[in-house]
Amino acid sequence: CQESDLDKLNPNGVTVDTFYKNGAELTSAVNAVYAMAKANALTSREWFFLQDLRSDDVAAGGGQLETPRNQLLLGSHDTGNSVMGAVWQGFYRLIHRANVVLDLSGKVSDIPAADKARLLAEARFLRAWSYFDLVTMWGGVPLYKTYVTAVEGSLPRSTEKEVYDFIIADLKAAQEALPATYDANNLGRATKGAAQMLLARVYLQQADYTNAKTELQKVISSGTYSLVDEFSDNFTEEAEFNKESIWEINFYPSGGNYNWDGDGNGATAGTETVRTQEYSGIGWRNVIPSNSLLNEFEKTATGFDPRFSKSFYATGDKYNLDKNVLTDAAQNGNSSVVDGKTIKISWRKFSLMYKTDQTFLTGGINQRIMRYAETLLSMAEVENEIGTTAEAVKYLNMVRARKSVAMPAYPTAAYPVGTKDQVFAAIMHERRVELSGEQIRNRDILRWRKAGKLKTEPFAYFQKNKHELLPIPQQEVDNNPKIEPTDQNPGY
Amino acid sequence: QLIASNGYRAKQQEKDIAAPVVTLKAALSELEKQYRVSFIYRTNLVDTKVVLTGHRDHTVEEALTNLLSDKGLTYEKIQANFYVIVASKEKGTRFFRKINQIEKKAFEPQIGSEPVSSADLNLIKLERIGYSVLSAEKPMDDIRGKVSGAGGDALPGVSVVIKGSTRGTTTNGEGEFSINAPNNATLVFSFVGFASKEVPVNGRTNLTVTLVEDERALEEVVVVGYGTQKRASVTGAVASVTPKDLTALPVISAESAMQGRVPGVRVVNNGSPGQSPIVRIRGVGSINYASGPLYVIDGVPSGDLNNLDPKDIESLEILKDASAAAIYGSRASNGVVIISTKKGSKDGKLHVNFDTYFGTQTAWKKLDLLNTQEYTQYATALLGNAKIAMPSRLSNLNTPIYDGASQTFAQTATNWQDVMLRTAPIQQHQLSVSGGNNVSRFFTSAGYFDQEGILIGTNYKRGNVRINSDHQITKFLTFGQTLMISYDKMRGEQGFGGGRTAIMQAIRNLPYWPVSDPTKVGGYSSPTAADGSDPDNPVRIALQDKSYNQRVKLLGTLFTEIKFTNFLKYRFSFGADIVTAIGTNLFPIYNDGYKSRTQDNIQDNRTSYYSPILTNQLTYDQTFGKHYINATVVAEKQTFRSSSLNGNGFRPNNDIDVLQGISNPGVTSSKDESSLISYIGRVNYEFAGKYLLSGSVRRDGSSRFAPGNKWGTFPSASVGWRVSEEAFMKSVPNLSELKIRGSIGQTGFNGIGSYAWQSLISADNTNYVFGANKVLGSYFASLGNTALKWETTTMSNVGVDLGLFGNKLTFTAEVYNRKTDGLLLNVPIPNSIGYSSPPLANIGSMKNWGYEFQAGYNHNEGDFRWNVSANMDVTRNKVTSLATPSATLYSGLNQDFGGFDITKTEAGQSIQSFYGWQVEGIYQSLDDVFNSPRAQNRAETREAHDPTKNTSPGDIKFKDINGDGKIDASDRTYLGSYIPKFSYGINFGANYKNFDVTVYLQGVYGNKIYNGTKVIEEGMLRLFNAGKGVLNAWTPTNTGTDVPRAISGDPNNNSRTSDRFIEDGSYMRVKNFSIGYSIPAPILSKFTRNTLTKARLYVSSTNLLTFTKYTGLDPEIGINGTAGDNSKLLTNGIDYGQYPQPRTLLIGLNIGF
Repeated sequence: CQESDLDKLNPNGVTVDTFYKNGAELTSAVNAVYAMAKANALTSREWFFLQDLRSDDVAAGGGQLETPRNQLLLGSHDTGNSVMGAVWQGFYRLIHRANVVLDLSGKVSDIPAADKARLLAEARFLRAWSYFDLVTMWGGVPLYKTYVTAVEGSLPRSTEKEVYDFIIADLKAAQEALPATYDANNLGRATKGAAQMLLARVYLQQADYTNAKTELQKVISSGTYSLVDEFSDNFTEEAEFNKESIWEINFYPSGGNYNWDGDGNGATAGTETVRTQEYSGIGWRNVIPSNSLLNEFEKTATGFDPRFSKSFYATGDKYNLDKNVLTDAAQNGNSSVVDGKTIKISWRKFSLMYKTDQTFLTGGINQRIMRYAETLLSMAEVENEIGTTAEAVKYLNMVRARKSVAMPAYPTAAYPVGTKDQVFAAIMHERRVELSGEQIRNRDILRWRKAGKLKTEPFAYFQKNKHELLPIPQQEVDNNPKIEPTDQNPGY
Repeated sequence: QLIASNGYRAKQQEKDIAAPVVTLKAALSELEKQYRVSFIYRTNLVDTKVVLTGHRDHTVEEALTNLLSDKGLTYEKIQANFYVIVASKEKGTRFFRKINQIEKKAFEPQIGSEPVSSADLNLIKLERIGYSVLSAEKPMDDIRGKVSGAGGDALPGVSVVIKGSTRGTTTNGEGEFSINAPNNATLVFSFVGFASKEVPVNGRTNLTVTLVEDERALEEVVVVGYGTQKRASVTGAVASVTPKDLTALPVISAESAMQGRVPGVRVVNNGSPGQSPIVRIRGVGSINYASGPLYVIDGVPSGDLNNLDPKDIESLEILKDASAAAIYGSRASNGVVIISTKKGSKDGKLHVNFDTYFGTQTAWKKLDLLNTQEYTQYATALLGNAKIAMPSRLSNLNTPIYDGASQTFAQTATNWQDVMLRTAPIQQHQLSVSGGNNVSRFFTSAGYFDQEGILIGTNYKRGNVRINSDHQITKFLTFGQTLMISYDKMRGEQGFGGGRTAIMQAIRNLPYWPVSDPTKVGGYSSPTAADGSDPDNPVRIALQDKSYNQRVKLLGTLFTEIKFTNFLKYRFSFGADIVTAIGTNLFPIYNDGYKSRTQDNIQDNRTSYYSPILTNQLTYDQTFGKHYINATVVAEKQTFRSSSLNGNGFRPNNDIDVLQGISNPGVTSSKDESSLISYIGRVNYEFAGKYLLSGSVRRDGSSRFAPGNKWGTFPSASVGWRVSEEAFMKSVPNLSELKIRGSIGQTGFNGIGSYAWQSLISADNTNYVFGANKVLGSYFASLGNTALKWETTTMSNVGVDLGLFGNKLTFTAEVYNRKTDGLLLNVPIPNSIGYSSPPLANIGSMKNWGYEFQAGYNHNEGDFRWNVSANMDVTRNKVTSLATPSATLYSGLNQDFGGFDITKTEAGQSIQSFYGWQVEGIYQSLDDVFNSPRAQNRAETREAHDPTKNTSPGDIKFKDINGDGKIDASDRTYLGSYIPKFSYGINFGANYKNFDVTVYLQGVYGNKIYNGTKVIEEGMLRLFNAGKGVLNAWTPTNTGTDVPRAISGDPNNNSRTSDRFIEDGSYMRVKNFSIGYSIPAPILSKFTRNTLTKARLYVSSTNLLTFTKYTGLDPEIGINGTAGDNSKLLTNGIDYGQYPQPRTLLIGLNIGF
């Protein structure tokens, strides 16, 4: 017997010390960061649920909405909520993968420095995106600036400011190295504009209007982006990566094969999102637009704001390339009340129903994370806050003037824009109507509530000093020796 | 031992005759044969040695005179050809007077029997006063006969003795004997390994005698690791499942044959046909690993008993304590099961056996579900309370079930359980041919097993061929081999291993929904949005989605043994376990009107496994006076290699089931290799057969650990004291065996992945799409751990063996303490550190302790022979530490069960204890809601109370256990364990003439089950079909109920994990009941012209009766996955609606040629 027979290395992988030595491996490692972003725990499922259920954009579609989701909607979630836990876990796994890329890239020298810098900047961008979502939903979270090399390496909570500062530094560094655009084979990678827009969001969330304006202005001035004529083109499969798009998570048809793995792992795993299935009128219809959202839409002489029917399907609407008519019976669950009428209404944004009548469907519509309309609306908010209300109205009206929307310019009867408060009311209205169901409303409410700008609290369940933040997941409190139960967010 | 020495003595006599100096007795015996006469004499007179002259005398009288005259002996003829031999000084009338002095009364013949001749009377009297007949052919009746085993095989060498005398003979090679005995004598038949039997002659001259095997006798030698040992000398806890247990009952696997047979061995049948049962020896050894015992089949250690035909098993030994198991070192922590397969016999004859049975299986219980009218009533309450609109279908049931159908929904009443569960056939056949002589032996068998599942879409088939042979090439050289070639194919429960079980789907589907719908692609339909409910059609899943696992397995050994001297031998063996497996998943295109699959998904997975093992063994075995020493040293190496290739793709149609013309093709492959090098030493020492001492040590080196931690040492020691062998115990009446033994030792567990210590990049193991361009991604998934080593178990064991009345009554008791340190646990890492899987580390420790009792009684006399054995064990488990003092492992969270953890594992508690809330009652009013501790979902104020969203009257009031005035996660408490307080088995077997009966009871007591099927039936989370219990839901007018209000969405989480769904899982099962009839040998040989030697017909039932209070389908609950599924480990005892154990009825035939 040879004792050397006892030395066996795993033939299925490479050890950490030997990986990350060339451009191909570094690229593969960055790809894995993106892969996490599209995982079930994040944008293909739990992430959009968490954002939407924490907003007042959605209501329960009916009894089919699973308990932990319903709890978020009712504000009765506790520390063990599985949807929230999945998103927390997903973001931290993404951060880990990004940290590994940033920490272990030292040996890579076979690719041009600019390419390497770009790859690292992509990792920074994705890390910043993750921390921003974490800090807005949970407050000060553990801040891992490098990857953890031992089990004992877990960290306590940082302050919100520390997290924000880190995000800002990442995004500043990232935008230096990221290109403005990519070729067709690389669509979906983070761009300079994406880093700028995300940084603008970060500043805006902290009410740092001056810096927010700087970043927004960079996006606007770049000339890379403009509004598309057709509002719906922001949510369909055919119009992905259009000129209004700043950053989107790329989903791609894979034969109806949805990857239920929380981390999105598997070399041959599906690359679809389950969003159509979860939200669509003829799908599970787990959530529907809330009545408050539906009634936010202005009525014009010809009916609703055109964005209403481009955002929602109501009973009687045509779908599947106008081949089918949506019936009440085909839509599972609850009805809505709009303008005093009871009618079944379902989400249309990001739904494949526009071209299919299949009742069980996952698909390849990209999850748009940031688009230019938000840039303009954020610019409106910034301008209003820094006192240039006329500029604010100008930006609002740019959005309203989109060809397929063509809503009358402000001021209108309902929205006079004579004062800063009035402009703000218009901004709130416009953001809600334009960006409904795009996972933006939750953050808007948090920001406005914190700044005392909400005239009425949107949530009946809201308890002060509790519902501002989500609880740190119990799994984390139980297993992170640096986080004691006393470190839990208030109210939980 | 007495029995064995009889045979030995008989042989010894033959030998002596050839020698010139023999005992007088032998010389007389020779004369008896020569002159066909009989002698009777005092046995003490004939121990004298005489020299045979070889001279042939003319008459017997002459010969006797020559032989006896110089010994002070003489003879007297008392009958024709019958002589009594007496001391010369005793001869005369005095001698015969003495005979006549014996009271006549004692020898009066029984009424009705033949009168006894005076010569016979004299003979009997002589025997009474110490005279003995060596053999006698005349003048007594010439009784002939044949002795055979229960199987009809002739038994040569059986000792036949006239009761009350030492006179007897042995059977010849054909099992025949002839003896002269009084026609009212009783003959005693005895043979090694068989129960002795007394047969009254009753005037018959031809006897047919059948001996039954004696289990106690067969256990005399037990197989232990790397050798055998006398049962009497065993000092560890070694239990045997006898071949009788294995073959008498039609068990379908060796694992299930162990169920309830051996105390401390817990066997839980798990899943559909072909799935391995869960086997745990002496508690739970590991938290992170589904750690069954190590199986050693003909010397080849193997992780499972896959494909083994239980009828091929010769012996099955379970090494329970460390002293017995430590010889298997780093793999022995969870016990070792040693299996030897059958060998041929040495009797020079060919044995052909054919065993066959056919049977049917049915579910023995079904759940009580709602019919359409009740469903509508329930839906109205459930949705109404939540202010959700009623599904349009319910007011519209008089519509056709599909376009063009004449049947309406209203006319449809589908009982989905009846559709999913069926009466399923089962059959097994085995033909074996075996035989041999002193040089070569062989055993060849071929078997076929075919079982349909009682759940549609499940089945299992297995074909086996075995060839075993061994050859005595020279006096010192033996060569042998074993080989199993087997093929099996399993179609398991679809969706098995995760998610919803078929039973759950069957409960949930709507009573008015049709099973099939020819207008749909695929032929099945599902409820749509109009039904307000979306259960899957379980029939479509079960029948259309196909997953097959096929295996070809070869398990074989070659060995050679060289005897250097009488006491030293060397054995070399080579074994190999070779498995080729094909897993095929076929998921065809369908559209059931709600869900659909647009492409035919085909997955084709190949795995091959090769594990060779080389063993070199040297054994020294010698007795010096009262000292006995057996020493063994072994060097061994085993390698494990596997590789897999997985392909998948999508086809545009369902026409073919192969990967051709596919889109989105995917292929992955992987390899795995590890090896184990071992050095083993063991010494057994006995003094005077009373004091037993044993010690062993094994040193294992494994590639699975980092350099520096590869080698581990596993020592053990044990002592035994056979108190019954002490002189002072000899006087204790009826005590045949009393042994006290104790042991201590260490074993290990290395069942982790081959490369767990290495920090690895998961290369190209995830993907993303840029533009339309799919790219692969690599990530750092898990931290390695170079400090990783074995789990180490230290076990101490004390046992007592007691045998009474010649071991007719036996009793064994054991107490053990098993402490596992350095538990291999995935360190419970906080999610924030970002690794997708936690690293393994040796953290935590666990304790199992318990008591085991086994008692048996054999009654082997007369026509009615019976035996009863019973065993019981008490096992306790406690986790003593985990990674950190507060570390917890939760498990069982399931959205269908409300989305709460169900079990919790933490230090100080039994592993995976059920953990949840306690029900205090039901809120009867809004006042009650607001005056009670604050429910999690109670409105802020009474004004804000919304019964559709908040805790309301009719909801469950959970107990505020910590008394802080609110009901939250910290009010959870331990609700019991799935581990029984005790388990037991009772086996009763009886034979009356040609009938045999076996009743086998098996049970557990004091365990808890989380009844997930009840959550599906009565959880009322959202609209699906439900159990009848929901009709008794709380309403303002039905307040005296324990079923909460029906409200879709369950805002108060009434369905959360609580004692509402915890049930007592105790049960007692008539695990088997069999009645057999063996056709009597004479009739059989007459009607089959001597072709058949045995024929037994039997009927048998498995799970005939189950006594339990458990309300689910079946109280024998494993896990919702395969037995080796590590991810399901902490979910034992949760009833997801797993495949229920069927009740089986079968009829079988054993015949022998």
